[in-house]
Amino acid sequence: MAKKLMKGCEAIAEAAIQAGCRYFFGYPITPQNDIPEYMSLRLPQVGGCFLQAESELAAINMVYGAAGAGARVMTSSSSPGISLKQEGISTCAAAELPCVVVNMMRGGPGLGNIQASQGDYFQATKGGGHGDYHAIVYAPSSIAEAVELMPKAFDVAEDYRTPVIILADGLIGQMMEPVEMPDNPNPVMRDKPWAATGYKPGGAKPRAIINSLYIETEDLDELCRRMQARYREIEKNEQRVELYHTEGAEFILCAYGTVARVCKAAVRILEEQGVKVGLVRPITLWPFPSGAVHDAIAQDSVKAALTVEVSAGQMVEDIRLAVNGCKPVEYLGEAGSRIPEAEEIAERILAMRRA
Amino acid sequence: MKDYWVLVGSFGSGKSELALNLALDFATRGACTLVDLDVVNPYFRTSERGDVLEKAGVELISPPYALHKIEIMSLSPRVYAAFTPGEGKVIFDVGGDHIGAVALGQYKPNFELIPPEHLKVLQIVNPLRPMAAELDGALSVMEKIEGVSRLKINGLVNNANLAEETDVSHLLQGYELVKAMSEKTGVPVLYTCAVPEIMEEFRQVIAEKQLDARYLGRLLPIEVMMHRSWDKFLENGL
Repeated sequence: MAKKLMKGCEAIAEAAIQAGCRYFFGYPITPQNDIPEYMSLRLPQVGGCFLQAESELAAINMVYGAAGAGARVMTSSSSPGISLKQEGISTCAAAELPCVVVNMMRGGPGLGNIQASQGDYFQATKGGGHGDYHAIVYAPSSIAEAVELMPKAFDVAEDYRTPVIILADGLIGQMMEPVEMPDNPNPVMRDKPWAATGYKPGGAKPRAIINSLYIETEDLDELCRRMQARYREIEKNEQRVELYHTEGAEFILCAYGTVARVCKAAVRILEEQGVKVGLVRPITLWPFPSGAVHDAIAQDSVKAALTVEVSAGQMVEDIRLAVNGCKPVEYLGEAGSRIPEAEEIAERILAMRRA
Repeated sequence: MKDYWVLVGSFGSGKSELALNLALDFATRGACTLVDLDVVNPYFRTSERGDVLEKAGVELISPPYALHKIEIMSLSPRVYAAFTPGEGKVIFDVGGDHIGAVALGQYKPNFELIPPEHLKVLQIVNPLRPMAAELDGALSVMEKIEGVSRLKINGLVNNANLAEETDVSHLLQGYELVKAMSEKTGVPVLYTCAVPEIMEEFRQVIAEKQLDARYLGRLLPIEVMMHRSWDKFLENGL
């Protein structure tokens, strides 16, 4: 398909449609309003359904319903709105329902502001809602990558029957870049014998029951064991990471999303000064690519690692777990919505080098 | 008598870009006021270039708190000052689509007092934006904007671009679209915009393909001042 000049939000919405998504339920919040806006125009054109719910709670429960009926469905929101959806996401996870949830993170906590932020890392990767569950979390660092990840998100959601979160930020949502949509997407729709598509008597189509309530201990244990076994599969198969100039580096930067792009600029600045610095960029935040992070930082050449985040230091915990004390891991960033500058990151590395 | 330029069109078609370029050009020759009338999108606004405008002597009328990153904007009572008698140029940079153009409707009594020869209402067209390539869509945007703004669009602007990846083929695509729009509606094409290097190339294409001058309007080389791309973000911030 010919390139178009698209906002991140528009590109994500169109990529979802190209991936076969035909149902969108949402509620407005800046900076992701362009997703429902775009969906409201486009979904009717492709025989889909856009519905603006009366609240985030209603929207995520509509997602539950559509997913239970076997539809490719998504919702989107931004940080405070995602908080409201957590109960529904946990319920979708427990009912083993595939769905895609886009979070265009904005400044927090509370209502925060409408600038880009990364404060929802813990919420996205450590559960967010109640109970022992995970969602697969993708963190695109460009509009093009977000477009590439959307069909993947729908596929893995269905392969593992789990909610998938696209964890982007306001910058990805509002930037405008030339984007190429996939030429011939032809999404392969999964067979969903479990979906509630209508009971047929006489064994032709048994009753499909979509449920997350298991009163009997044994029944709940069985569900949890099944879910945990599936999470181990996901951890084995679905980790994604980008390694940028890491081989033989003296220092390793760790960052995800848009901040990783700032870090790449810092790598170039430092390389010009003769300092070998690499970047590890987790693309899946859960499953966290612990092995790749460990291997990059544990190299003999590496003196220390520095994680850069627009948060008070959340991913740094996973980095430290992955490294397990074999090298020092420092953190640069702050809570809120101030994005660190490349020069600032480069200076910190130079300071670490002098220390 | 003031001359009024009202810039309307789809989201992201380049209204703010053209507004800034026109304002800086007009200000070299006389008084110029730029009204930021976008009450829809809190990001990437003309008001963010207030320093450039101030330096050039352009008077900027912004929604209150436009730069405070709040989500809901109101209109400044100063907008009415743009309609007072006087000399110079007044540019209205309107929000995207008919949703943004709603803000114009309330000024109908003021616009009605402006003689037609002093009022240009320009639809900015960029077929490289999503769902903007087809004639029907562009005409539907026009109709909806006219409906809510209570103004008649009397000029078209070919602003075909793919940001930093723009080439002459895109301008040619824009030419075909505004030509079709003009043929269908009788609204003239007043401008074709591009950065200077692309415009130079396009001049050769115009000669080679003998493009119809009626559908080119004035060739207006523009400087890119709004930025939405990553490299520009690194340079200038959000």
